[in-house]
Amino acid sequence: MITYTICIFTQNTIGLLNRITIIFTRRRLNIESLTVSETERKGVSRFTIVIKSESREEVEKLVRQIRKIVEVMAVFGYLNDEIVFNEIALFKIATPLGAKSLDVETINKQYKAWVVYWGLDYVVIEKTGSEDDIFGFFEYLKQYEILEFVRSGRVAVGKTEKGLVEYLPEAEWAYYL
Amino acid sequence: MEAIASPITDTQESIQTPVLINGSQALMKALIAEGVDTIFGYPGGAIMPVYDALYDYQEQINHILVRHEQGASHAAEGYARVSGRVGVCLATSGPGATNLVTGIADALIDSTPIVCLVGQVAKRLLGTDAFQEADIMGVTMPITKWNYQITSADEVPEIISKAFYIAKSGRPGPVLIDITKSAQLELMTQPFEYECCQSLVSYRPRLTPKKEQIEAAAKLINNAKRPYIFAGHGVQIAHAEQELIAFAEKTGIPVATTLLGQSTISTDHPLYVGWLGMHGNYGANVMTDEADVIIAIGMRFDDRVTGDASRYIKQAKIVHIEIDPSEIDKIIRADAPVVGDAKEALQALLPLVYANDHTVWRNEFRKFDTIEHDTITLPALTNPEGKIRMAEVIDTLSQKTKGEAILVTDVGQHQMMASRYYQFRRPNSLVTSGGMGTMGFALPAAFGAQVGAPDRDVVAIIGDGCFQMTIQELGTIVQNKQPVKIIILNNNFLGMVRQWQQLFHERRYSFVELQNPDFITIAKGFGMDGMTCDGRENLSGALDTMLAHEGPFLLEVIVEKEENVFPMVPAGATVSQIRLS
Ligand SMILES: Cc1ncc(C[n+]2csc(CCOP(=O)(O)OP(=O)(O)O)c2C)c(N)n1
Repeated sequence: MITYTICIFTQNTIGLLNRITIIFTRRRLNIESLTVSETERKGVSRFTIVIKSESREEVEKLVRQIRKIVEVMAVFGYLNDEIVFNEIALFKIATPLGAKSLDVETINKQYKAWVVYWGLDYVVIEKTGSEDDIFGFFEYLKQYEILEFVRSGRVAVGKTEKGLVEYLPEAEWAYYL
Repeated sequence: MEAIASPITDTQESIQTPVLINGSQALMKALIAEGVDTIFGYPGGAIMPVYDALYDYQEQINHILVRHEQGASHAAEGYARVSGRVGVCLATSGPGATNLVTGIADALIDSTPIVCLVGQVAKRLLGTDAFQEADIMGVTMPITKWNYQITSADEVPEIISKAFYIAKSGRPGPVLIDITKSAQLELMTQPFEYECCQSLVSYRPRLTPKKEQIEAAAKLINNAKRPYIFAGHGVQIAHAEQELIAFAEKTGIPVATTLLGQSTISTDHPLYVGWLGMHGNYGANVMTDEADVIIAIGMRFDDRVTGDASRYIKQAKIVHIEIDPSEIDKIIRADAPVVGDAKEALQALLPLVYANDHTVWRNEFRKFDTIEHDTITLPALTNPEGKIRMAEVIDTLSQKTKGEAILVTDVGQHQMMASRYYQFRRPNSLVTSGGMGTMGFALPAAFGAQVGAPDRDVVAIIGDGCFQMTIQELGTIVQNKQPVKIIILNNNFLGMVRQWQQLFHERRYSFVELQNPDFITIAKGFGMDGMTCDGRENLSGALDTMLAHEGPFLLEVIVEKEENVFPMVPAGATVSQIRLS
């Protein structure tokens, strides 16, 4: 299975998420993660959808199918080495009296993670990184009691010189994959 | 009205403050600005303000009251298919809107431009499970090219212009606009202004193909020894019939059509070799395995055409001319894709291709034609015994109408027989449900087609099963005095299903026999003339009577109960495994 990151630039309209995800559903592709936000251009949203697929051809077809949606301005499919990408995870760790104390130095220096909130008997640690980084850190934290763990979808930018949004008006569906 | 009755000096007032109209009136004005003169619809609570506005616009917009909303969407399809214009239908919320769904899905897969306007509950009731509220946006999202919910009157002009632009441009398709009752009633805050949409930022269908693509295609075509053209529905949508013929004649390349591509080229054209697919012609199918270059134009390699796609035309290089880029490489990988309008693509190709005649190659098709003629066509048309065969009816009709009628068919054996035995002489003459195979399509679609092409003869060919799915539209036809001619080919069976049961399920005829009503009595009940023909000797006379009749007419022909349609490519087989019996 190869991981693909699909970036979709759309006009920001109601119901679009639905229209996009239907295409994955119809083609029986499972969405690993999904992130949506507005881009630097007002009214233009960016969807970042991660899927795993065995066939590049299937992914190409999917991209073209998404491109058909009237509100979609451009779609790009990337392999991992074509993008810079990250996820963010929050860990809520129990710190009751008398429990093993957190090794904040290791957390900061070795795992590049930060305590972002101190509760009465818990802390919240934030870690950004790839899926592997985050699960590596998860393993490390298992020695403590993890009360909650949440991971965001992937965010990604392509490794091209200009921001892809710049190309939107001329964007050609086929030649970016 | 008397002057005293209006104390405000009306005229002065209206010069200063322009008259503001409500959403429904805006909708009327928008439709008129789009050139709409016909709407197929059915009223109800959530669309009443629009119907109220329509009352004032009866001179400009002819509203046709159907008997079921499915009839409205199919009629709009029939209208769109023959007129080349956008078909429009109107329905209320909830059940009205959901009744349109079959026609919408049908229009999507057969690339038919229709705009469906449906009422919705008032904005403040949205999402509350209000009376007759259905999430039609959610329901139609996967079966529309675009859909949108209007919740304020001010949105009407922009959204309607977008709706029409999207429906008819690029690869045409259905658009659904859901309008809340509050938006229909409220006043616009701006004076009505309308501009037809010409382009959208995010939606830019490519009409003019890229030069490199055309050149690459021309090169493949010029080097081909055994080239073969597949003409699909896209050729007719692009009005590229003349271009196709010019291209084929210059290059000498044989032309086959898909089911929806039928009538693109006259069946007596020397380069026409038949139609492709499950029940298509023997030679047309078998020869796909002999071609070295296939030029597919405005067609999408539907599985009814390809049979087992994994074993389909592996030997050939493919030129695929298609306006919808997502169709390219979807089923069959193209060696030379050409994204663009079929007409523009053929115009661009014509000067680049060499004149040729490919006589030897073309003649190879003819030996299959002879086999097909001797084993299938001739026996079907010259069988003196037993009941009338569907083939005879179509063949006789074809002769009597000189191949010039518009044939609208339903779905089943009669559909395949109509396509096989009618000798199409004029373009745009077969209206059928190809991609969806929607039973119940023909009667309303034939009506719509007659409205869209008032000067042509429209003949609907319908099975006894299909007819009963939208039988109530007889009422619409009579009320609107459209001279549609209807032929029911009555075999008392769901024939096509029975054929499959016979061939692939050991004749286990599971629920395919129909107890039919007296169709003629029903027609008469609706005020339509009709007759039954039960004997070969009366067939010609019955068809004459029908064709000579001034208004609509229903002719029921009792046909052979267990006739089968051949040739046939069994599902999952390759096209060259086509069976003749
Ligand atoms: C709405 C719908 N339901 C079921 C089918 C499946 N189906 C395809 S052809 C057919 C039989 C049609 O029977 P009839 O109208 O009598 O035509 P015939 O095949 O006998 O010519 C059926 C049931 C369909 N295509 N559409």
